[in-house]
Amino acid sequence: MSTQTALNTFVKETGGWVASQLEACTRCGLCAEACHFYQATGVPEYAPVWKVDLLRRTYQQRFTLSGKFKLALGIDKPVSDQDLLDWSKYVYEACTVCNKCSMVCPMGIDLGTLIHDVRAGMAAADLVPADLKAAVELQLKEGSPLGVTDDVFDDRLEWVGDDWEVDMPLDKKGAETLVVFSSIEIMKFPQNLAAIAEILNAAGENWTLSSKAREVVNFGYYEGSRENTVIFLRRILDHAVELGVKRVVVTECGHAYDALRWTAYNITDVPKDLEITHITHLLAEYVSSGRIKLKEGSLNGGTITFHDACKIQRKGGHIQEPRQVLKVLAPDSFKEMTPNKEEAICCGGGGGVIAIKEADPNRYAAFELKIEQLENVGAKTVVMACSNCRLQFTDCVQHFDLDVKVAGLAQLVADALIE
Amino acid sequence: MNWNAFLEFTRGQLFNVALLFFIGGMVYRLVRVILLGWKRDRVPPAGSKLGGVVKTYLKGFLIWPFVPWVKRTFSRNQVMYLAGGLFHLGLFATILLGTPHMLVWKSLLGFGWPTLPLPIVDWLAAVAIAAMITLLINRRVNPVLKLISGPAEFFNWLFVFLPMVTGYIMTHHLWFPYEVLFSLHMLSVDVLLIWIPMSRISHFIFYFFSRTIHGTEFGKRAVNP
Ligand code: HEM
Ligand code: SF4
Ligand code: SF4
Repeated sequence: MSTQTALNTFVKETGGWVASQLEACTRCGLCAEACHFYQATGVPEYAPVWKVDLLRRTYQQRFTLSGKFKLALGIDKPVSDQDLLDWSKYVYEACTVCNKCSMVCPMGIDLGTLIHDVRAGMAAADLVPADLKAAVELQLKEGSPLGVTDDVFDDRLEWVGDDWEVDMPLDKKGAETLVVFSSIEIMKFPQNLAAIAEILNAAGENWTLSSKAREVVNFGYYEGSRENTVIFLRRILDHAVELGVKRVVVTECGHAYDALRWTAYNITDVPKDLEITHITHLLAEYVSSGRIKLKEGSLNGGTITFHDACKIQRKGGHIQEPRQVLKVLAPDSFKEMTPNKEEAICCGGGGGVIAIKEADPNRYAAFELKIEQLENVGAKTVVMACSNCRLQFTDCVQHFDLDVKVAGLAQLVADALIE
Repeated sequence: MNWNAFLEFTRGQLFNVALLFFIGGMVYRLVRVILLGWKRDRVPPAGSKLGGVVKTYLKGFLIWPFVPWVKRTFSRNQVMYLAGGLFHLGLFATILLGTPHMLVWKSLLGFGWPTLPLPIVDWLAAVAIAAMITLLINRRVNPVLKLISGPAEFFNWLFVFLPMVTGYIMTHHLWFPYEVLFSLHMLSVDVLLIWIPMSRISHFIFYFFSRTIHGTEFGKRAVNP
């Protein structure tokens, strides 16, 4: 095992930005109460501060006098192979990188990003859980972690286009907007493809799909490997440039949005005049500018609530947009869960967790917090704008046998379109 | 033992040495972190970074810890929020707004400021001491705190606690002769000053880094920090 590789990666990731935050931690333990995995299981090792402990130890032993001193005296131990194996479980199977903890930390430490750095070390040392690793390999080889090869992609598009009678331009030169779906949508929620296409067409958008930039999901980003993250980002960016589009729209996928909108710029070259945005933003813009018309109040009836995805709302910034839309669709029956918006509780399936079989008990345990929230608000329908969340909700509704309808935002908008 | 001579030593030479060590140590820690290098953030912002920073400080200073904005967390960890908040409140009130301490600042800085009446400072100090005892107990029972605390965390507690109790007993003229208590108070302050640069109590400096980063990250994304 290459423990040293992991440590070298930790050291490489540790500039002033990371170090100053590691130094700021007072070891108060408050972040534990923010983490749904700790709340749900009570396992102390799931405390966010503990998840970044390897990074802290490496930093201190390498860079600080007190750390070197403690190491020499044997008060502190060097990071061992076993430590890495243990932490691999903590950071992949018990963390969705949702960054709720950073809202709660009294020092405001950006724990999510630091945990991502721990993952980077794990990826370098080849300690990514097998299921996640397999998905990465598949994406490297076939272009998609869910088996969406070129042929499958073409078949799915044709089928969706025919079945829902909707026009889906592919590789259209001169298009302004490139839309990139996630394979979860393509394979599990094909209706989402039709819905988004209908909306864009209704808004008169000059848009296209790409046969090369056809996968927005970034499993390299999940595993924390910068190298693979960049490979997958380039597949989108290069073909966006090739097509000459002005903007790239990420559809209902959170982690992909975080990678493309908020990370890509710092790890690869993103063309200056290329705009990157999320479909949620487009939906709200179309509705408020009148480019699409919706049947007002068409969803009034049973209580409908919105689940904030960590990467689209708290870390993505699109907090008001879905609410703007839902207030048109269900002015009377839209109700907020508590807590919500930037303080929302994560669904428990993001950050690659849902792809890891061993994480299932954690994932279901964390969802019980969500069930409690849903019950408190009396939700009949729960809406979201992230297909990864949607996968988790759909699976859990079945697992727990809940009487709640799970819906994607774009889908609801498409259903309410007035031609 | 000649307590008056010892007092002279702890207030004079030792204090000066400790103070210099404190300043030198903190500067070293700061420079060390800053020299690790800072990459420019090339992500185009969606909102105002500065706005995020301003908001997060206002929240941190004004609201925390009495009306924490994360209600669910508060309901699950009142002890930590309240005791932690009251401890820091009492600490800052005594070392900044207590008359004797202000006079020390004045001798160091050359200027002074209005202070709080003694009974108020005295109450706040008592609250801080009670809060510290609560924090210690909590640290020994909470499973997460047990996991993340080592000897260093205990020393942090002890070296802050000692100046507070000796100071408190001294102002109430209890049990021991005044010069004995005063010497012990000064000795514990000297120890604390030397300990801070070697420990996590340095968080009062790095707080400004992590808060600023927090505000920037959230402001950049147009999200409330
Ligand atoms: C800007 C100034 C400061 C800020 C923002 C700050 C913040 C915090 C926070 C958030 C905690 C953890 C939670 C808690 O226990 O309340 C903490 C713990 C602590 N702070 Fe501070 N602090 C500051 C200054 C100081 C100073 C000047 C001292 C001492 C000279 C100090 C001593 C301590 C100690 C001993 C603890 C640990 C308490 C325990 O055992 O749980 N702090 N601080
Ligand atoms: S990022 Fe989210 S899941 Fe990970 S430790 Fe923090 S609160 Fe828990
Ligand atoms: S809440 Fe922040 S300061 Fe407290 S232990 Fe967690 S990371 Fe450290």
